[in-house]
Parts: sequence; structure tokens; C-alpha cells
Amino acid sequence: MTLPSERRLPWLFLILLLAVVALAGWQWRDGAPLSANLMELVPGTNPDALELRAEQRMQEPLNREMLVLVGHADRQQALAMAQTLGEQWQASGLFEKVQWNLQADLPALRTQLLQGRLAMLSADDRQLLTEHPDAFIQQRVQALFDPFNGFTLVPSQDDWLGLTGRIQNSQPKHGAVQLDIGSGALVADADSKSWVLLRARTTGNAFDMNLPLKVADLLQHSREQAAKSDVQLLAASGLLYAANGQQQATREMTWVGGGATLGILLLLLLAFRRWRVLLAFVPVLVGMLFGAVACVAVFGHMHVMTLVLGSSLIGVAVDYPLHYLSKSWSLKPWRSWPALRLTLSGLTLSLITSAIGYLALAWTPFPALTQIAVFSAAGLLGAYLSAVCLLPALLKNVELQPAQWPLRLAERLVQLRENLLEHVRTPVLLALLIAFCAGGLVQLQSKNDIRQWVGAPQRLTDEAQTIARITGYQPTSQFFLVRGANQQELLERQAALSERLQQLVNLDKLQGYLALDQLLSPPSQQQQVREALSKLPQHWQPLLDLGVPLAALQTELQQLQSLPAEDIDAALAGPLGEPYRTLWLGPTADGVAAMTSLQGLNNPSLLRVQALDLPGVMLVDRLGELNNVFAATQISAAELKLASCVLIVLVLIVPFGFGGALRIVALPLLAALCSLASLGWLGQPLTLFSLFGLLLVTAISVDYAILMREQVGGAAVSLLGTLLAALTTWLSFGLLAVSSTPAVSNFGLAVSLGLAFSFILAPWAGRHVHSTSVAEPAA
Amino acid sequence: MNLICKGFGALALLAVSTLANAFDLQQLSVQLAKPEVIHGQFIQEKHLRALPQPLLSKGSFVLAKNHGLLWLLKTPLQQDYRITANGIARRDGNAWQLLPNKSAGAEQNRLFLAVLQGDSSGLQRDFELALSGDAQQWKLTLTPRSVLLKQVFNQININGGELVQTIELLETQGDSTVLRMQDSTANQPLSEAEQHDFAE
Repeated sequence: MTLPSERRLPWLFLILLLAVVALAGWQWRDGAPLSANLMELVPGTNPDALELRAEQRMQEPLNREMLVLVGHADRQQALAMAQTLGEQWQASGLFEKVQWNLQADLPALRTQLLQGRLAMLSADDRQLLTEHPDAFIQQRVQALFDPFNGFTLVPSQDDWLGLTGRIQNSQPKHGAVQLDIGSGALVADADSKSWVLLRARTTGNAFDMNLPLKVADLLQHSREQAAKSDVQLLAASGLLYAANGQQQATREMTWVGGGATLGILLLLLLAFRRWRVLLAFVPVLVGMLFGAVACVAVFGHMHVMTLVLGSSLIGVAVDYPLHYLSKSWSLKPWRSWPALRLTLSGLTLSLITSAIGYLALAWTPFPALTQIAVFSAAGLLGAYLSAVCLLPALLKNVELQPAQWPLRLAERLVQLRENLLEHVRTPVLLALLIAFCAGGLVQLQSKNDIRQWVGAPQRLTDEAQTIARITGYQPTSQFFLVRGANQQELLERQAALSERLQQLVNLDKLQGYLALDQLLSPPSQQQQVREALSKLPQHWQPLLDLGVPLAALQTELQQLQSLPAEDIDAALAGPLGEPYRTLWLGPTADGVAAMTSLQGLNNPSLLRVQALDLPGVMLVDRLGELNNVFAATQISAAELKLASCVLIVLVLIVPFGFGGALRIVALPLLAALCSLASLGWLGQPLTLFSLFGLLLVTAISVDYAILMREQVGGAAVSLLGTLLAALTTWLSFGLLAVSSTPAVSNFGLAVSLGLAFSFILAPWAGRHVHSTSVAEPAA
Repeated sequence: MNLICKGFGALALLAVSTLANAFDLQQLSVQLAKPEVIHGQFIQEKHLRALPQPLLSKGSFVLAKNHGLLWLLKTPLQQDYRITANGIARRDGNAWQLLPNKSAGAEQNRLFLAVLQGDSSGLQRDFELALSGDAQQWKLTLTPRSVLLKQVFNQININGGELVQTIELLETQGDSTVLRMQDSTANQPLSEAEQHDFAE
């Protein structure tokens, strides 16, 4: 019963398999090509290279730095613990730099202040010097006597005019953090505790696979250690989110993959009562292998989320062998190759329609879905090939005598349906169904947010918020990108923006901002300061009255006049430039560029308005853009769904004719509509991901309609085949619904609902054929 | 560096805390804790390396145990300061103007206030304290411990008898400040105007 071609096929396939395994081995030569970077999954909205560079620059600290607050009612204890932890962390080797106190390099600070006396003077001080030189001198005299004037780094005789003190005092201060002068630590007081700031910068970033987990472990250990001394730790870092995401992905992959595998194996054993039938899992394994290899080959790596969602492929891949295994209820004796020959056309159609459904996902602007599409399409191909070429050879001498109870169950279901149809006719049922859909759709609410991608536990976000409240550091993901033809123009443009942002700060709409113009003024203004200084001798009599030697003042003025104009690079090199360094993007193709970062933002739309009429200034609001893309994609997803249906109809016209093809496609669409309505009834939101899930269901459930319509072996056997296929698929997708990542869980729920409706509706696909073959005993 | 605050901080610490590490220090703190209110005159000499003559300023002060410090500069210019739990204020016309808490010296002033209110964690940690002499004529030397403070000044010397007489602050850069407290008296309560100044 085995054709010669069927003898060769297994060997050909084994050669292909060997090649793929070799390729996989080569791909994994340097460890797992896995990635956990969330930003890789969301659509790239902007191709602008500079904007991308700016974004990466702003994100880098989020992915490499950890901010920890060490809190105790007694400041000393908090400081001691911060020091202990700081030393331990430094010794751990995970961090490039751990900082709990400022070891200020005062000589370097003095040098920078003296060098920057022209360039770093604030706008207010420049104005005072230029417009009210008398007041400027008067204030200086007062400051010399003021016992509470504060800490000036530069001794008076090096700076009689007091410019360095003014620069020091005009440096922007953010947040509620104060310097503890004794220890040099940064401390904030809140909730009747002293919180010492501990900052750590890792050697790698959050997307190195192992680092986040190690950092999270270390933090956990430190928390326990601190708790023994009654010290509380609060931590915030992108690394912790990454660690959490990884743990969650691993856990869910184990649950979804393991649960689906166990369930399916059990189902196979119960139904077919042969150990050898477990070989039906070979296509699943081959499918996963093909999927992974294709994914790495196309994208260079694979995202963990692809793995989680891809693990649901198990349920679809096992459908291929089920196609011919389930024929054992009608085909007696059952032999692998003849059974395959009977079902080959259905199998092939099934592969094509499913692949169309999956590949439709690839055209969405979401790299995540593109990856899943490639993974799944390649996986299905692998599963199909192994089911067609290899598995029949492995099952060659197996004689299947399946359990009879599933068939009886299917027969009872068929009977149930017949009985139902006797009482209520199909058009009435359809009307009822449409009423159900209408009722549900009315209640359906759409919801889209990037946060659905992140299953961040409340604990992490709460801690980050507490830290923001205590320290006043509230970094926002939005920032301004400012471009200019040269440094002069750039600094002028940043200053124009700062002026507007300051108004927002005054109105409490914004907590703060950081821009290069706060560090130094453009060259033209440095020149103005130089000119204003040259007029100062007419006003400095009060200083002379104090006994300041005229010669000293003249020498100082001469030094000031000869200070060279300072550029951005020079200003950033000094210790005062440290917080500004990330902002400077340097030369670009058409000039120079820098960023203005923001703190504590309430209203993003207010920001957009600020940049409207400022040349060279643009707001980069990735989060906002993403949410817009989400909403826009919902529409294109619906279009894709229709397009994929049209394509499937075209494919199905060949075997089933136009009417048949339409009917087969109409059923999954109706099932999708019912699922949408169910979401509405259940009070679940419609998200982009549920829509994608339904897109997929359409493709998979076309398969059920085909199975039912083909009716190989009678209605009951076909229904049983469909039931098995739906159950296995549901086992893998349905388990996704328990995921704690809202996006994944939404996807799982939508697919589960869609599968259930597809199964219920599938028998209507075969009504025509059914009426002619109803006399055939359902053996 | 706001050295004067440091000096007062030391005093206030001694006045309110019960230092247990040396018998003499404890005795001194008991002695200084007695008066509720101290009134006096001050002369501030700012010795700048580059000036042949020190910058001289004069005025009066009121240190009240439960309120804070009034520092009333009279010559060569007139300016009143007040340090309380709320921060440092400067009299502007008739109203006290709280100075913005953003100057680099604010942290030290805060520390000073913490000390003034009896938070003894301050000076002991930041300074080595050395006491010599007797109750009628003593000298307390404060040497900074922390790297940061060492970069700013070398030493603070406080001399006194029943009450504090001089505070001398020696900066690393070579400048120094001497505060001479004269005619200090502890037998006058707060006047109504002073109470008003602290209350406002």
C-alpha cells in the first residue's frame, strides 16, 4: 500500500530536517538569540535617525540605572545601610558604578566656575549686570558681609565680582533631595524617614538576558538584609521591569506550553489508545524548530513574547496529524499512507488558509506580530511537511483502534443539532444569533494603550511612584529635540523653549526641565557680558570703599575680558556639565542638535503647543504616538481581516465552487462577530490584540468548515475531527488567556471565544453535502 | 561655606544635647543650656587673604533656646536675618522674606537648624570635638571629619566662659572669619518686638 514516492519522502524530509537542525545549531552558537526589549515589539513610528538616536540616549539610563532609596527614621542608620549596600553592590561585579555619596572634586569645580564666568552666567544675572550695574555691585557688597550667604567655592580674592557664586546659585535644582554635608550623601526626608539615595549603573543593559534577573536577585537579598535592621528599600529601574517580564515570560511559557502539551498528549492517548500515537507530537516539535529558525534567520533574533505566543502553535500544528488520525473511526483497517492520501487535499488547503491568516498579521505595523507571523507560518510549514512526509512512515505498522466513546459523543452532538433544527429552523437561529451579536456589540468598548504590552506588577509601579514623590525626580518619556545650524542658534532655540517651559513650571503644569541653555549661554551673549563688564569700573566704587584694592579689581577685569568664548563641549567636560551630558547630541548632517528633558509632566498636549511656532524644536512623545498608532491600526487590522478572507475565498473556489467558498468563509466571520459580541457581554474591552486574535481565528476556523464540508467518513466523524482539532487548538490558545500581560491575555481570550463559536457554527458548512450523504451510516 | 552657622550649630548642640563621651563636654553643654535667651553684640571680622584690612561688620544678636536666632547687622550696612525651623529669612522692609531654599548653602543652614532644635546627630558626626580649659575659660576645637568638609575649611575654634565669647572659622583657602560676641547677657527675656519677629 506504500507508493514508491512515499518510500523516498521520509528520507528527503530527514535531509531537510538535518539541514534545518544544522542551521539552528549555527544560529545558537553564541547562546540563545533571544531578546526581551519591549521597544523592539512596538511599531517604529519614525524613521528619523537623529530622533532615534535621541530616544536611545534618553532611554539608556532607564535600562541601565537603578535608583534605590534607603529609608530609616534615623538618618545615621539609613546612611550606614546605604554605605554597606553600596560596598556590597560594588563588589558584586554587576555594576559599573555604585554611588551613594558625592565625592565632589572641588578643585575641578572651582576651575570650571572660574573659566565659565562669562559663559555660564544665568539670564537673570546677565540682565542685572547689563542693565543695573549699580545694583549688581551693591548686591556683591551685601554678599561679602552676609553671614548666611552660603557656601562659595571660589575665594573672594579670586572673584571679587562674585560671578562664580551667582553661577553656583543659579544651577537648577530638581526635587526634594538635599546634600548631607557630613557624608556627602543625597538625602530626602519624607514619611518621617530619611531616605538616602543610592544609584547604581550596570555593566550591561536591561536586555542582556541574565543581567536583570541577577540585579533583581541582588536587590531582593539587599531588601531582606536591610529589613533585619528595620531599614526599608525602595527601588526603581527598567531592569526590574525587564527581570519581571522575563520571569513572567518563562513562567507563562512553561504553563502554556507545558499545559497545552500535557493536555494534547492526554487527549491523544484517551482517543486513540496507542502509545505510538504520541508520535503525532513530532510535527509539533518540527514546527517549533522551523518557526524558531525562520524567525532568527529573518530578524536576527527572537523576542521572548514571540516564544510565549508562538507556543500556542502547538495546538495548531497537532491538527495536521489529527486530520488523518481521526479517520481511524471510519477507515477500517486504518493505514497511515492511505489515510494521508484521503486527507491530503484537506490538509493542504488547511495549511494554505492558516498560513494566509497568520501572514496577514505580518502586514500590521507591529514588529511583534510580524515576528509571530513568520514564526507561525514557518512553523506550520514544518509541521505540515513532517505530518505529510515523515509521520506516516513512523506510523506505518500501527493499526489504530480508537476509543468509541468520542465517536458516540460526536454522534450525540450531531443528533442534538438535528433535534434542535427540527424545532427551530436555521433562519430563526440566525436571527437569534444576530440579535445576540447586536446586543453585545453595542456594549463593546475599545481600549488601546501601550501599557497593555507590559504586565507590570502593581508593586513595581507603586514603588516607582513613591520614589518619584519622595525625591521629586519624575522623569517623563517625552522630551524636546532641538536642532540648530550651529551652537549659537541651538542655544538660542533652547533658551526660547526654556522660557516657555518656565511659564509652565510657574503654572505648576510641569515640575522642571533641563536644557543646555541652563548651563551656558550662546557665544553672542558671552560677548555681551564681556562688553557689560568693561563698563563696570564706573560703578564699583562701593567695593573700593570696603578696601578691595583697585589693582585687584582691574586685574580680575582683564582676566575676564580675555576669557575665550566657551563652547558646549568645553562646558560639558567640567563637573557641572555632568547632568547635561546626555542632552547633547553633537553635530548632525545639517548642524547640531540637543534635547530638553522634562520632569513631572501632567499634560502632554500642553507641551505639543509649546513647540508649534518655535523653529527647530519638536516634541518627541513616543508613548502618545504609539497609542495613536494602536488606534489607527485597529482599522487597518479590520481591513486586513477582510482582505485575508477574500484571499481565502479565492483559494477555496477551486475545490468548493464560489458558493461553497463563500459559505466556508462566512462561518468564521460570523464566529468572529459572535466573539466580539461576547466580549461586549462579558464587559471585556476590545483591544488591538483581541482583534488580531480574531484575525487568526478566521484563518484557523476555515479549517473546521472545510473539515465539516468535506465530510470524509460521515457527519459524526467529521464533527469529531473538528472537535479534536478545536480542543487541541483551544488548549494552547485558551491557556494564553491566563497570562498576566494584558495584551497576551486579551489575545488568548479572543481566540478561545472565536474557536468555541467556530466549532458550534462549523456544521452549517456541510449542510449541502450532509443532505445527500445523510443516509450513509456514521460508522 | 556658611561657617557662622556651623559655629552657632556647635553652640546650640552643646546647649541642648547631653553629650556623654566626655565629662567636660557634658559639663559645658549643661552650662550653655542654662540661659533661655541670650542677648549680645557682635563684631564680625572677615580676614581675606588679599586684603590688608579685615572686612568689619557690627550688630546685635538674640539667641532664643526655643525659637532660633536673630542676627541684626547694623554697620556698614543694615540687614536683619532670622534663622528658625522654617529656614533663613531676611527682613525686607517690614516683612520677613524667606530665602529660597536653593542656594548651595541651604543644606548647611538646614543642618544648623536641625542642631538648633536638638537633633544631636549633626556635629558629632561631622567633626572631631576637643575641649580644653575650665568652666570659666574654655576652648572647643572642631575639626571636620568628612572629605567634603575638609576641602572647605580646616578648623572651627570656639572660646568662652560662662557664655560663648569668640568663634573663629579657618578656611582651607586661607581666609578666616572671627565672630566676637560682646556684652552677652542671659538675664533679659525676649522683648515684645523680638517675640513678634520670631512669631511672624
